[in-house]
Parts: sequence; C-alpha cells; structure tokens
Amino acid sequence: MTREDFRREIGDAFDAISGSPSPALSDRVRSALVEDAPERHGQVWIAALAAAVIAVILVGVLLVGNPLNRFHPTPGGHGTSTPTTSPAPTASTNPSPTASPQPFICSDPSAFGASQAPPPLAYVDAVRTGMHTGYDRLTIEFQNGQPSSIEVRPQANTTFTRSPRGDTVKLLGKDGILITIHGSDAHTAYSGSMDLKTGYAGLLEVREVQDFEGVVQWALGLATTPCYRVVILTNPIRLVIDIQTS
Amino acid sequence: MISVVMEQPPQIMARATQGDAQAFALLIEPLLNPAYRLAAVMLADRTTAEDAVQEASIKAWRKLGQLRGDVGSLRSWFLSIVANECRMVRRQRWWSVAKLAEPRPVHVVADQFDETSTDLKSALLRLSPEERLPLVLHFYLDLPLDEVARTLGLSPAAAKSRIYRTARKLRSDLTLEEVF
Repeated sequence: MTREDFRREIGDAFDAISGSPSPALSDRVRSALVEDAPERHGQVWIAALAAAVIAVILVGVLLVGNPLNRFHPTPGGHGTSTPTTSPAPTASTNPSPTASPQPFICSDPSAFGASQAPPPLAYVDAVRTGMHTGYDRLTIEFQNGQPSSIEVRPQANTTFTRSPRGDTVKLLGKDGILITIHGSDAHTAYSGSMDLKTGYAGLLEVREVQDFEGVVQWALGLATTPCYRVVILTNPIRLVIDIQTS
Repeated sequence: MISVVMEQPPQIMARATQGDAQAFALLIEPLLNPAYRLAAVMLADRTTAEDAVQEASIKAWRKLGQLRGDVGSLRSWFLSIVANECRMVRRQRWWSVAKLAEPRPVHVVADQFDETSTDLKSALLRLSPEERLPLVLHFYLDLPLDEVARTLGLSPAAAKSRIYRTARKLRSDLTLEEVF
C-alpha cells in the first residue's frame, strides 16, 4: 500500500463518518458571534471590575494580616502597653469539610480529567476491591502522577475485547463497565492479579483487558445494570469506583 | 481534500482584535469546514458537532486576545479550541460517549465506499476520540506535522509518533513510509 492509498482510504473513511456540515453553519456561527459581541464587551467590563475588587480585597488582607503590623509587647514591661485591636489570626486548623459523596449514576458513561499536554505515565501500583454497606468498591491506585484521562463506560453485557490481541473475553455477571485509563501503564509498578474474582454481590469480576502504549483498560463484570459513582482521590492518587448494591 | 486559506489579511485580524465580530467571523469562515469535520469525527454525531463548532467559535472570539494577532497560528489555535470543546461535550453529555461506544450505522450510498473503507471506518470508530484526533488532523485535514503538534500541544516528534502508533492500530502492518 502506498502512502497515497492509505491517505485516500482513511480520508474516505473519515468522510463517511463526518459527512458535510450543513450550509447554514457559517451563518449560524456568524449570528452567534454578532449576538455575543455586546456580551463580550460586557464581560471585559465585568472582568475589569472584578479584578479591581479582588485587588482591593488583597491589599486589605495584606494590610490587616501582615504580621509586621501586629502589636508586639515590649520586653521588660516598660512603658504603657497599648491594647492591640488586631484581629486574631483567622487561619483555621480544622480540616476542610469532606465533600459529600458523589451521587450514584446509572448507565452514564463518564470521562474525567482530560489534559492538554501528555504527563508522564501514571503507573498502576495496586488494584483492590472491597465490599461495603450498599456498594462494592474497586480502587486503582497510581504512582508517578495522574493519568491524562479516564473514561468509564457501562455496557449491557460482559464481553470485552482485549487489546492489542483483538480477541474477546467474557467476565462473570450480566452487565459490564469498561474503564479506559489514558497515560498509564499497569506493568511497571503492578505485579498483582490481572483477573480478580470477588464473590461480592455487585462487583463480580475485575479483569485487565489492555495495557498497551500508555492505555490501560480494566473491565468489570457486574451482577446487574450498573449504578455507580466515580471518585478520584489523592495522596496517593486513586481511582475509586463504587458499584451500588442496594 | 480540504483546502484552508492559511493567510488572512492582517487588517481583518486587527479589526477582529478591536472587537469587530463580523471581522472575526470572516477570519474563521474558512476554518469552519475543517472544524466541523474534526468535531464530527471526535463526537461521531453531526448535529452535536455543529453545536460544538458554534460554541468553540464563541469561545475563540472571547479569547482572541490570546492569539496576539498571530494569523499564522490561527488554524491550529482554533482547532485546538474545537478539540477542547469536543472533550467538554463528551464529558457533559454522556449519550455522546455512548454513541461512540456503539456507533450508529451511517447510511451511505452502497457503492460510494468500498468494503475496505467501511472496515476502516469501523476501525476508526473503535478508536477513542483522543486517538482519532491526530489522525483527523494529519490525514483528513491535511495539517503538516508541526501544526498537528501545535494543535495537540505536543512536540512534532511526539505528534508523529502518536500518529504512527494510532495508524498501526488500524493496520498493524503499516510501515513508517506508508504513513508519512
């Protein structure tokens, strides 16, 4: 196959996917831009005002909070000490309130955290499962940074294609979820099982189906149609997927 | 396949930078077709693709100052905004992703595409949108490697490598010479 043949074939295939834009697209964009013009000027004005307000607040905070401005008692107690009116430091040592758990979603594929520049590969270093009240949990832990993006796609069966082999595997259960992790590998730091059969009520099986060229895919076999939630935790970076069981 | 006017009169850019929406519309008009094709391939949905291009155009208009009047970078800058918009659409609208997972059959005239093209189309749709992106930019929109790299925020070498790796997912026997 020549270079031109390949280009022509791939161009034809892309043509079949995209088709042509509607003739009205140009007018539609033009109208949207013209309609947006006053808003754009308005936004500039609002942004300038917001910047000014923020600057004033920052200056105020610096003036009030600057430790150099605080009252320091004179050693030896000579002279009249003036009671300070400086407010006590306001920094709280309380931990920030824990964010409320993500709601469960049903059958919605999700994508998380795409970034522009490719970061170094995030190495999977642990895969754990656990059974909790109301949900089963899968945790995939990373080291060496975070993956560039993660997609979670439910599907109505448990048959998955292994890549790059191209063959299929069938997991336990009725429905499945495919987790695609871009910018990651599961062979540098992970030496655990590639196929975990849990025996839980909701999450029945977890199996790696791809670890190739910076893309890792884990397939989940589930007992029923998945209602799940996805959370990304830090220190260390972990992808947590909870499968609702009740 | 697709011709895009690279050079735009600097006067139009100057007017657009000063807030002339009509001038900006004129500036990006030659880019709407490639932008649509990029979005349609990434989203696998033509209607959503047009919405994404419109939204990306507005965002580009609002961020025109970032470009600092550099007409030569307009195309890669605009296409990167379109690509980002497609990513956002995919994140926000789960059904778009579902369509990517199980693409609808596209109705085409039977003799318009041969079997190989149909196979290749299916193979392309099996790639993730992020994998399709460099292929669209290089093979479909005919962007040179350095412009693909700028659009993707990569070095030219990394862009080339990504294109080749993804192309080999379509045809594992492809050689470098057959791709570039």
